[in-house]
Formats: sequence, structure tokens, C-alpha cells
Amino acid sequence: MNLRSILSVGPTLWGIGIFLVILGGSAPWIPGFLLTLVTGLLIWATLAYSLNLITGLVGYVSFGHVVFMAFGGYALAFGVGALNLHPVVGVALGAAVGLALALGIGLVTLRFRGVYFAIATLVIAVAALYIVLDIEELGDGKGIILNPAVEPLSVFYTILVTLAIEVGVTYAITHGRIGYGIRSIKGDEDAANTLGINAARIKLFVYALSGLFAGAAGGVYAWNVSGAFPYSSFSLTFSLQMLAMIVIGGMGTLLGPLIGTVAVYLPSQVFLTIPLLSGLQFTVIGLVVIIIALFVPGGIVGTLRKYIPEFRGMLE
Amino acid sequence: MTRVLEVSQVHKYFGGVRAVQGVSLAVQEGNVIGLIGPNGSGKSTLLNLIAGVMKPTKGRISLDGQRIDGWPAHRIVEQGIAKTHQIPKPFLAMTCRENVAVAAMFGSNKQKDQSEALETAGRVLTLVGLEGKADSISSNLTVQERKRLEFARVLGTGARILLLDEIFAGLSPEELRDAIGMFTQVQKEVGFGALVVEHVMRAVLTVSGHVVVIEEGTKIADGSPREVVENPAVIEAYLGAEAVHAPT
Ligand SMILES: Nc1ncnc2c1ncn2[C@@H]1O[C@H](COP(=O)(O)OP(=O)(O)OP(=O)(O)O)[C@@H](O)[C@H]1O
Ligand SMILES: [Mg+2]
Repeated sequence: MNLRSILSVGPTLWGIGIFLVILGGSAPWIPGFLLTLVTGLLIWATLAYSLNLITGLVGYVSFGHVVFMAFGGYALAFGVGALNLHPVVGVALGAAVGLALALGIGLVTLRFRGVYFAIATLVIAVAALYIVLDIEELGDGKGIILNPAVEPLSVFYTILVTLAIEVGVTYAITHGRIGYGIRSIKGDEDAANTLGINAARIKLFVYALSGLFAGAAGGVYAWNVSGAFPYSSFSLTFSLQMLAMIVIGGMGTLLGPLIGTVAVYLPSQVFLTIPLLSGLQFTVIGLVVIIIALFVPGGIVGTLRKYIPEFRGMLE
Repeated sequence: MTRVLEVSQVHKYFGGVRAVQGVSLAVQEGNVIGLIGPNGSGKSTLLNLIAGVMKPTKGRISLDGQRIDGWPAHRIVEQGIAKTHQIPKPFLAMTCRENVAVAAMFGSNKQKDQSEALETAGRVLTLVGLEGKADSISSNLTVQERKRLEFARVLGTGARILLLDEIFAGLSPEELRDAIGMFTQVQKEVGFGALVVEHVMRAVLTVSGHVVVIEEGTKIADGSPREVVENPAVIEAYLGAEAVHAPT
């Protein structure tokens, strides 16, 4: 990549880049409670972008994405707790585990299309919990508890860098030749195959990337909460929350997952502080998703692009 | 080197349905072969077998002597054989230009450079008379335009043997004349070989130098357009037994 092509990446990538740089630069001065909130936001943004790769770009709706997050978390907890690794290495381990799992799961499930793929991923997510419950090294059903993270800033910077890389990867694979391949598969997989696209390979590649980033985010999540615990790690509400974020923000877009994360994560944090409402969190998210899916199919970014012509060239 | 596609004794069974039963034919680069037969006689299935969309139950398909049956569809295109879909399958979210550029990027020529592929697409769209629609989103196309786009995409792959499934269907007489003219012109210019499945007799008889007729998955005739339309077995297959003996 030469300087010129770096400069010409477009306003959306520039915008996200500048946002992340400002966030990174100001982090040391952000008060503790706010830093915790922002770190949570970035973890969820990383998860949303991860799901966006396979579901938003390729069109394969995954209900089981929590699997990569959970195993990424367990990988970190095991690496840090049992092997004494540095947490950042633990996050890398989480990414590697996410990648390996996605390759294995994808090899089998990506043969199914549409709702069959969605169901297959759901079944795997449910089964995975029961497998982990029986593994002695992973806490024998009780989970793994770590010493609390001492340095919130290292957690913050780790997820910030992970997210930045992920946004860059999303941009790269949507703009190159492979981007055309991905859009073709989403458009009509049979037609894609008969025009020379190796759909199986591209799907597996994107799914593997998706697993990698979800695994890394899961690692940071476990680091942040100081441990991995089966029932909370494998909660399907995590999968649903990721889906809600990309549906609301705009599936398959570059900015959508970030907007969607802000739109879902911040209100849900407010909900959690009000005892009367905390149980209603997912009911509200569910309702909003249904309404958006039915009436505003492009999500926030898609709608802005549709109705405001000036945004069409700028917003991706 | 002119390329030759050979299909020999190919069978395809769907459970109890014997869709194709021992069909043999050959298509040489530069020649247009018509493939006709009544509804459900196995024409589309045969194209799908050649294009790698499905695997034959038995038989042999080869390109320049190399066996290609059972290969996945994307590898068949790489080898230089591309197929249209009887029901067009455009990428609805893309413009026509992008639809064809995908074919140029991933097809037989594998033009890695995006802007070159988009240029190729523009040229191909002009060839098929869709230049006015190049930057329209393909979901806005009529059925007829979608058929042209199917044709443009297989041309865009750069394949030397094209498998065309009813690209002339559903046209008015004038549209048909235009389409036949366009096809003949493009074929001359590009020099591809083609296996043309068609119900519209006028089209198939005009564009092909040789016609193969199948009925219930079996080849019943094979010859020049003239020989074929005069063949009693063909007339019977199309019009029923009485027609053969009916006074004309
Ligand atoms: N995927 C499939 N599964 C089961 N049966 C099939 C399948 N595809 C085709 N058939 C059957 O195989 C036979 C041949 O179908 P095919 O589509 O090849 O006919 P065709 O000659 O192209 O007909 P048409 O002129 O109507 O397009 C039909 O009986 C059809 O029902
Ligand atoms: Mg057919």
C-alpha cells in the first residue's frame, strides 16, 4: 500500500480511525468508572464487528457466536491462571483458539445455508456449554477465577488495538477483489460458484477471521472480569446482543457495528443500574431489533445512506 | 489451440428419476451446437452436469481430453466453461457493470486488477447491448435484461465454451430478431463455442450449425438444423405421434 492509497481510504475509515486515536490519547485522563464503561464498549464493538464479518458481509446468520467469545475467555483464563502467561499473550491465545474453532466448526456448518446454518451454530453453542462443564482443567463447571486485573489501562489499550486491527481488516476485505467475491456470495452463492468463485474457501476464510476476533474479544472480556465462568460465558444473550448491535447499526457496513454497539450498550448499562428495569433489558433489545428488522432493514447506517444523498459517498 | 468439450455416455439419476440417460455430444470452440427437447427432457440437467453444479451418476466429461466430471463449479469456469442460469441469478445489490466485473475477476481470465475488470465489463455490456444499463442496480432490470446480463456474465468470464440455458425465451418477435442478431454478431467477434438450450425453434435453428435432440434424457436425433426438423422421431417427440402421419 502506498501513501496515496492510505490517504484515499474514505471518510468512514478516517472517522473511525480518528475516533480511536483520540480515545487512546485521552485514556490516561479518563476517570476510572468511565474507562470501565469505554472498555466494555470497545469489547462489544469488537464482538459486533466480528459477527458483522460472517453475518453482515457474507450473509450467514450465526446464533452461536458466543462460542468463540467464551472459548477465547477460557483460553485466557487458562493461560493466565494455569500457565502464568501475560494477559496480552492470553488474549492472543484466545484469538488462536477462536480461529481454530471457527475453522473446525465452519468446515462442517458452512455447508448449510440460511436458517440451517443459523440452527447449526445455535446447537453448537448450547452443546459447547455442556462440554466445558465436564472439563476438569477448565474449572469443572465452576469456572476459573483470576486475580483482578491490576491495570485497567492495559485492558483498555489491548482491546483498542484489537478493534482497530479488526476495522482495518473489515475495510481491506470489503474493498479488494475478495470483497467482490464476498458480495457475490451474499447475493447468490450458486451464481458465485458458477462464475469461478470458490465460495466454500472464501466463507471459511471470513468465518475464521470472525472467530479470531471474537476469541480475542472474549479473552479481553475474561481478563476484564477476572475469570471465565460457564453459565455466564456461554449465555446465548451474548449472541443475541451482538446480532442486535449489527442489525440496529447496519449489517455489512463499516460504521454500523460501532454505531449499533453504542446504541445498544450504553442504554443497557443504564438499564442495569435501575433495579426495576434490569430484567427488561433483553425484552427491550428484542423489540427494537424486531422493529428495525421489519421497518428499517438497513439499520441506522443503511437508512442514513438511503435518505440523505450526501451521506451515500461518505458513509460505508 | 481450439478447445473441445466432450460428453460421453453421461447419466444423471435423481432417486428414481432418470433425468439424463447416456447422452453423448461434443462442442468445439467456434461452433454453436443447439440442444433441444421437450420440457423436462433433461437439458438443464445436462448443462448443470457439465458446469459442475452437479455430479454425473455415470459417464465421462472431458475438456481437451482431460476429465473434468465431478469437479466443483468454480474450477470448471477456471478451465474455460461457463454456464448461464435458466432463471437468471444476478447479484441484485450490484450494478450490471459490477456483475460482469465479478465474472472477469474470478472467471477463466482471473483479471486481478479491479479497474481492468470493470473496463472489461463495460466492453462486454456494450457487446450485448446493455451499455445503457451498465450503472443501474441489477434488481431494476426486466426479465429480458436479466437474461442478457446472464449472457454478459459468461462472456465476462472469458470462457471459450459457453453453456446457454434458454437465453432467448419469452421475447416478442422483434426482440427475438434483435437478440439473434446480437448473438450472431458477438459469437463471430468472440469466437466462443456454445451449447445452446432453447425452446424457441427459430432461434436455435438460426444460431446453431448442429442440433442435438433429447427426449426423456436420451438422445433421439443429431444433425444439421434441417435434418433435425425433418426427422420423424423429433416431430413425434414434439407434436405427438399423429403429427408424423398427418397430411401437411
Ligand atoms: N435437483 C433435482 N432433483 C430432482 N429432480 C430433478 C432435479 N433437477 C431436475 N430434475 C428432474 O429431472 C428432469 C429433467 O429436468 P430438466 O430441468 O433438466 O429439464 P429441461 O429439459 O431443462 O426442462 P425445461 O425445458 O422445462 O427447462 C425433470 O423430470 C425434473 O423434474
Ligand atoms: Mg431447463
